[in-house]
Amino acid sequence: MPWAPTERPFLDPAVVARLGTLELKARTIVEGFLTGLHRSPFKGFSVEFAEYRQYIPGDDLSTIDWKVYARSDRYYVKKFEEETNLDCHLLLDVSGSMAYGSHHSLSKFEYAACLAASLGYLMNRQRDSVGLTAFDEDIVAMLPASSRPGHLRSLLVTLDRLQTAHKTNVAKPLHQLADTLTKRGLVVLISDLLDDPTEIIRGLKHFQFRGIDVIVFHILDPDEIDFPFDRATRFEDLETSEEVMAVPGAVRDHYVKEMGDLIDRYRRELGASGIDYQLLNTKHPLEMALLSYLSTRARAL
Amino acid sequence: MSFLAPLFLAGAAAAALPIVLHLLKREPEARIKFAAVKLLKQAPVEHTEKRHIRELLLLALRVGALVLLAFAFARPFFPSRASASAGGVTVVALDTSFSLAAPGRFERAQQLARDAVAGAPAGDLVGLVTFSDTADIAVKPSADRVLATGAIDQAAAGFGGTRYRAALSAATQAAGGRSSTVVVVTDLQESGWDAGDRVSVPDGTRISVVDVGAPPPNLAVTGVRPQPDRVIATVHNASARATDARVHLTIDNRQVADATISLGPNQSSDVQLAAAPRGESMAVTVDDPAGIRADNIRYAVLGGTVKPTVLVVSGSGDLSRDAFYVQQALSVGAGPSGGYQPIGMSGARLTAAGDDRLGTHAAVLLLSTRGLERRGRETLAAYVQAGGGILIAAGPDVDGDVVRDVLGGSSALQMAAPTDMKREVRALAPADVRHPVFTAFAGNSGSLGLVTFTRVARIGGSACQTLARFTTGDVALAECPAGEGRALMLASDLDNRWNDFPLHATFVPFLHEVVRYVASARAHTSDYVVADAPAGVPRQPGIATVPGGKPGVPPRRIAVNVDPRESDPARLSADDFQSAVTRLKDAAPSEARIEAREQEDRQHMWQFLILAMVLMLVVEGVVASRTA
Repeated sequence: MPWAPTERPFLDPAVVARLGTLELKARTIVEGFLTGLHRSPFKGFSVEFAEYRQYIPGDDLSTIDWKVYARSDRYYVKKFEEETNLDCHLLLDVSGSMAYGSHHSLSKFEYAACLAASLGYLMNRQRDSVGLTAFDEDIVAMLPASSRPGHLRSLLVTLDRLQTAHKTNVAKPLHQLADTLTKRGLVVLISDLLDDPTEIIRGLKHFQFRGIDVIVFHILDPDEIDFPFDRATRFEDLETSEEVMAVPGAVRDHYVKEMGDLIDRYRRELGASGIDYQLLNTKHPLEMALLSYLSTRARAL
Repeated sequence: MSFLAPLFLAGAAAAALPIVLHLLKREPEARIKFAAVKLLKQAPVEHTEKRHIRELLLLALRVGALVLLAFAFARPFFPSRASASAGGVTVVALDTSFSLAAPGRFERAQQLARDAVAGAPAGDLVGLVTFSDTADIAVKPSADRVLATGAIDQAAAGFGGTRYRAALSAATQAAGGRSSTVVVVTDLQESGWDAGDRVSVPDGTRISVVDVGAPPPNLAVTGVRPQPDRVIATVHNASARATDARVHLTIDNRQVADATISLGPNQSSDVQLAAAPRGESMAVTVDDPAGIRADNIRYAVLGGTVKPTVLVVSGSGDLSRDAFYVQQALSVGAGPSGGYQPIGMSGARLTAAGDDRLGTHAAVLLLSTRGLERRGRETLAAYVQAGGGILIAAGPDVDGDVVRDVLGGSSALQMAAPTDMKREVRALAPADVRHPVFTAFAGNSGSLGLVTFTRVARIGGSACQTLARFTTGDVALAECPAGEGRALMLASDLDNRWNDFPLHATFVPFLHEVVRYVASARAHTSDYVVADAPAGVPRQPGIATVPGGKPGVPPRRIAVNVDPRESDPARLSADDFQSAVTRLKDAAPSEARIEAREQEDRQHMWQFLILAMVLMLVVEGVVASRTA
């Protein structure tokens, strides 16, 4: 479902930013997202009965309880609690570069945290196991995957406690995590990918090699894409504190091309490896990411 | 470098404006913590140093443009080396009048001048002024004394008289307001100062007089008067000894008579040369080889001794009947410059005759417009427009419309017949006694008030100047513009009909002064001294021809002679000379300002500064467009 700005079906990140807790943000995003879907993109397969619901045109006919129809002469469908065996791992980049955020939007880290919380909420709601691994140049926090009802709170608390600080080394934690995962599942990488693309792609292919599906959410601030600065500015690297004095008017074209090349490379090489790649602009709604996740999950099942 | 208007340099403070704006508007350096600095590092980062340099260049250009503008308004100039000298100035004023032309005299004057140059204080700039009737700055003050010495060697005595005023004025100008010493090398002739003459020099100017010495015994021809059958010459003996001298008469370059004259010490005598002065010109010479040579001869134009003619336009042309008083009044007077020869002509005859000989008359008196038809009016109008003089007596026979045609529309003359005016007795009173017409009545102009005017015409015009009024307030005498000539209009007649003016003693001098004034627009004299010779005539004694210049004005021959006052041996003392000089305290700065202004005018540096400013602004525009 392509998102068009004119339809505006999703929550603006600026609105999300004003919501209080991460849990509230995640719930608001996910519930709103699910309510907005005309047709459930996923089917629930479980032995555990949940409820009856009156048939609505479009429901799968196989879900109609014919016994109830015989008794009441009305169509009801049986709803079951969904239950899957999918293990999902959220890999969240908390390096210093993720702290960048322009004034009109969430920072990349906040956006990524919201996304992780929303995905966790969605997964937990679907009884998927969800785990969290936060990293910069090393793994700084790790929450094993679980589908327990209380696990969501642990996930949210862990997310709340995360802070950005250090340098990035995306490839290293990827390899570490790939080595520890024994069960096939889904890995969701949320990062600005401002590191060596060769190493990152190699790390992601490591998951592929282990039979694990991968979704990459490439989080970028609009400033990083458009480079809208106009005055001569001293740019200080968030991770290395290295400074570059530049006149934006003079370097803009080159920068935008470099960034475009980087994005194209990720999209091209990850796509060639069967890895879903989704570029997320922090001013765009988070629901886009959820759609991408659900699409990949459906393929993974 | 100096400035003509240094106060404008305060405007250079405006140059601080761009700097202040730069400082006020300077934003703190933007610093952004950014994630993708790695990508920026790969970009061809425009080096901020370059930009910084460009911005500094812009600032410099803007500041420079304002400074240049302020400098241009301050009118800068480079003072000449002479002006910039810290020392004083010595100006040697060398007398070149003909009184120094006696053998050996001018050589002595030159030597004294050279001595003055050599004796000027070390460090002083030295200049040279040569003077006689006029003064020339031969060498501007400079450190090169050889220039001054060379100019002294080149100088020669001329034919002019001595005029100390011209010498000191030129020397003051040459000094240019600096502390100066003026060394006047002269024979200290008393005639060098005109009566009541005084000259002002800047305070601090030291005047030193170097006396060349008394002139040698000298004989001079100071006047010649041609008579019908002989020529009378006046010879002056400027020596303490009686002497006899031979006097020669030459007519048209032919010697026709000789005579010997005996002269007492410092005495002038007439000598009669027995030859009828018939020819075009003559010269009377006295033998005086040891004296001043220039005054040994005096020239005269024989044709020029005839009285100037005045055309009197009357009703019939018969002056004895129509204008008896005018005829008699004009005819009186003695000598070449005394009296006029009135020629009567009726308006009808003037109309018929045209302008063939009108230009030969010194002036025209228009007493009647009867019979003066269109052609006659045009003839008179052309005469006046070409520089002729006309006196219009607005009597009973003069029509205002005709007068308006004669004077042309520019005078806007209004003339009304006296019919609408009350018959009352009026007297005449000059409105401006300084006017040349009334100078003869200086101190006694009240005598004109004795004239009784019973009837007058009403005259006037927006462009006319009132010279005299009647006691009733009406205009009595007005001068109206009339081309290059002069036109006076009297609001009454000149024939004892509306007034009794011809019966008063003031009538003759009044009429003479009026005719002299209106005729003075054209030169009619034939005897000039060297200093007053018309333009184009060599400044030396002799017979010369002055071209007519305009159609209808014939060329005329004139005699140019040396000024006889210069032959007067009377001398001043150095103290007498100094007493005629006044020192002004404010004169020096004024002279300095004039000198500075002249130098600035010559250099025009402000124009170059404005040009440089424009170029700077152009460059600024280019650099700014690249920096934006």
